[in-house]
Amino acid sequence: MQDIRNRLGVFLAFSGPTFIWLVLFFVVPLGIIWMYSFGENVSLTEIETTWTLDNYRRMLEPEILQLMGRSVWLAFVSTLICLLVGFPMALLIASASHEAKPWLLLLIMLPFWTNLLIRTYALLNILGTRGRLNQLLEWLYGWADKILNTVGLNHLGILGDGFTPLKFLGTQSGVIYGIVYVSLPFAILPIYSSLERMDKSLLEASMDLGAGQWQTAKNVLIPLAMPGVVTAAIITFIPALGQFLTPDLLGRGQVDMIANVIERQFKRANDWPFGSAISLTLLYATFMLLAIRSFNDAARARRTGRS
Amino acid sequence: MTRATRLPISRRKFLAGAAAVGISFKIPKSALAADGKVNFYNWDTYIGENTIDEFEAATGIEVQYDLFADNDELFAKLRGGNPGYDVIVPTNDYVERMMAADMLLPLDHSRIPNMKNIEPDFMDPAFDPGRLYSLPYMWGTIGVGYRKSAVDEAPTSWNDLLNSDKYAGRIALMSEPQTVMQMAFKAMGKSLNDFSDENIAAAEKMISDQKPNIVAFAPDNGQDLLLAGEVDFAMEWNGDILQAMDEDDDIGYVLPDEGGLLWEDTLCIPKGAPNVENAHALINYLLDAQVGADIADFVYYATPNAAAKALMSEEYTGNPAIFPSAEATAKSEVSVYPGQEIVRKVDEAWTRIKAS
Amino acid sequence: MFGNRSKAGPFEYSRKWSLRLFFMLGTVFLYAPIVVLIIFSFNDSRRGGNIIWKGFTTKYYTKAFGNEELMLAFANSLTIAVVSTIISVILGALTAVVLWRFRFPFKPIYEGLVSLPIVIPEICMGVSLAMFFSAMGWMQTGDKPWPFNLTNIIIAHITFCFPFAAMVIRTRLQSFNREMEEAAKDLGASEFQVFRDILLPHMKPGLIAGALLAFTLSLDDFVITFFTSGPNTVTFPVKIYSMVRFSVTPEINAASTVLILMTLVLTFLALRYQRMDSTP
Repeated sequence: MQDIRNRLGVFLAFSGPTFIWLVLFFVVPLGIIWMYSFGENVSLTEIETTWTLDNYRRMLEPEILQLMGRSVWLAFVSTLICLLVGFPMALLIASASHEAKPWLLLLIMLPFWTNLLIRTYALLNILGTRGRLNQLLEWLYGWADKILNTVGLNHLGILGDGFTPLKFLGTQSGVIYGIVYVSLPFAILPIYSSLERMDKSLLEASMDLGAGQWQTAKNVLIPLAMPGVVTAAIITFIPALGQFLTPDLLGRGQVDMIANVIERQFKRANDWPFGSAISLTLLYATFMLLAIRSFNDAARARRTGRS
Repeated sequence: MTRATRLPISRRKFLAGAAAVGISFKIPKSALAADGKVNFYNWDTYIGENTIDEFEAATGIEVQYDLFADNDELFAKLRGGNPGYDVIVPTNDYVERMMAADMLLPLDHSRIPNMKNIEPDFMDPAFDPGRLYSLPYMWGTIGVGYRKSAVDEAPTSWNDLLNSDKYAGRIALMSEPQTVMQMAFKAMGKSLNDFSDENIAAAEKMISDQKPNIVAFAPDNGQDLLLAGEVDFAMEWNGDILQAMDEDDDIGYVLPDEGGLLWEDTLCIPKGAPNVENAHALINYLLDAQVGADIADFVYYATPNAAAKALMSEEYTGNPAIFPSAEATAKSEVSVYPGQEIVRKVDEAWTRIKAS
Repeated sequence: MFGNRSKAGPFEYSRKWSLRLFFMLGTVFLYAPIVVLIIFSFNDSRRGGNIIWKGFTTKYYTKAFGNEELMLAFANSLTIAVVSTIISVILGALTAVVLWRFRFPFKPIYEGLVSLPIVIPEICMGVSLAMFFSAMGWMQTGDKPWPFNLTNIIIAHITFCFPFAAMVIRTRLQSFNREMEEAAKDLGASEFQVFRDILLPHMKPGLIAGALLAFTLSLDDFVITFFTSGPNTVTFPVKIYSMVRFSVTPEINAASTVLILMTLVLTFLALRYQRMDSTP
């Protein structure tokens, strides 16, 4: 890594445009919201910044804390599943032949050019009590039942009396399914990116030294792919936290997350100061997470001398 | 932070627009002198099949037709200043809200001669005395859609949906906090406008307790769930259920004994509209008898337009789901805008319900 | 252990059957809803959530194509996505290089700042931008000719897309071997030549991946677009939302199927171009 003093011109040329853009179209608008969070409605459409802490105090009400906890939990589980499912998939693509790679990438990305709303509605067709997933499960159940019958074990009643469709919609599992479904490519891409250009010779070295393929994977491949995995985790967790459409549609209004509350403040409740306060709190928390990670990276870089 | 003053700018634009009416870049669609544009912001599928086209052909005014999904969206869009809409369609309590927020332009009744077509009963409502800011478009009720074969008799009380296990796992409520609470008030035998702290707390408890029995808080598609068989009972707008009844004879609609909610959608012109002249022309057109009849025929909600109603079939005018009987309507109430304070309390209660 | 078969190389995971099976299951998971969506676009069912199959028809395709507003919304979405992607990749690449290459005071803060558009709830960003545009008097989009009335939305999209692109490109950069750069310099290449001939080609897969990501995000966005759009500037997701709120009809499925097909063709062309261009 270079110090900027050596190449100040290049540094400014590269960082300048982004910086200006962010200040103008991001920091300034955020500043407006920040001021709103200390404000209150003086009329139906006007907000005055009275520097009140009322909005933040309301954040500590039990229902808000409950919803935040629920959101963190759902986002966490979804991210975990995305990483567990996404890593092997990214690995397969990254290790595929040069001709196959773009096709496999396309295969993964294609579902995600469908509009989010449409995809979620498509999930309604899949996850409903009369949806395709339950139909599949019922079919599998039928086979399992038949097999047990032929083997003569059915009197054990392992499978119960009959097939009851599983309830996905309106439950947390439905929402998790939805978040995973929507987030999976965001998890795969960064992992793929980092696997793709990894130094394969290190793997070869490991195997030359006698490690098996899975051992190499565990001790060499995965640690080397970590930057990609961490990026994937962040890129999945954060939007998952801010989801409101998925819990609304798949949770059928029963599994609200914190973003649903925010949405209501900006629309139905017409309480923009409160909505701003909640959004900003979410922001402060995740910003802290990122800052910690960044300091960690910098410390590690200084320690190992790597950039 | 104060709202940026945008009225001077839009006044300038309006004057420029008025001047430009004579110098149109568009090839006029008809021989009539009137020209230019009008931006119409309406609910989805809430107009006749050909109404817009016919309006454009008759007046030469080009219509930019945009859609919103609910009143909150409409209000949120206009809150920070009118982004350029000329005619909007808020529901009665939102008209009140907008009037309180000074977001509406007074209507020039002299420009809307078709006003005379409207039923006299609608001409002086509590939310807009003298119809200064709004004119009625459609009206209806909120009640219960249900599947006839799933019950011995039609549901008779809101308590069946809100307060009992009778139909557990087969119910859909709406997702609008205030409306659901208001029905809870009704179930308790109170007025749906009585937002006292005790009522709110009692309603909150009722709905929270009922949550396990509810399949969904449906945003606007309760009728879809009904048709799909996911639920057998849905709190819904009558027009939505009517459209479902069209597809499936097994669906019915009823106003519970305690009464339901009476709503009215209206035509308004927001402040800062760039084409005020054309806005009035559009509103006048929509209030025409035949046009009103065409709209009612397609949308299947009740029309407040007496002249249009006169042109409709017996099937329409005699349909109790569209035009409920006097006794059914007697106990139903119009929702009054309760003020920001109450809106906040309702939202807090709703958040508690959702978090549980 | 492998018998007569050649021993798998250290990175040839794609030959493992367990991994292949897993990948296939994953693909089924991703595609099942889409396939169902497409099948049900031919369903002859006006209402009922389009969950029960009632019969085959193509009339909803005719309906979708005849839906002027839908087509206009679609055109808007594409335009916005293309413009946003181009600028997002540029800004993203610049950011990635800066963060990867340089050490400078307050770097963690800069990094945090760049990551913020990802972190912030979309609603928050949408509202803040709407307030900003309103204060600047830019919200009156009704009079501007197409495509300039889409500027607000494009600005909004770039703002939340480029950090994603930056992240992906940066991950890619982290595996760059500095020795190649030094070797080139030893051979007399200038800083610029190094950037153009060595760094940029290495970044390319990251750029493509970043561009794909940005394009997807832009095309798909609902919340931010909703707040920053006005009359004349309805995008595809916003239009779909209002249609879907009311009832799900096969028309929506039909329109989506067309969208999928179009992007399939576009991507195919993009990949084709990339492969003609790339070195093995």
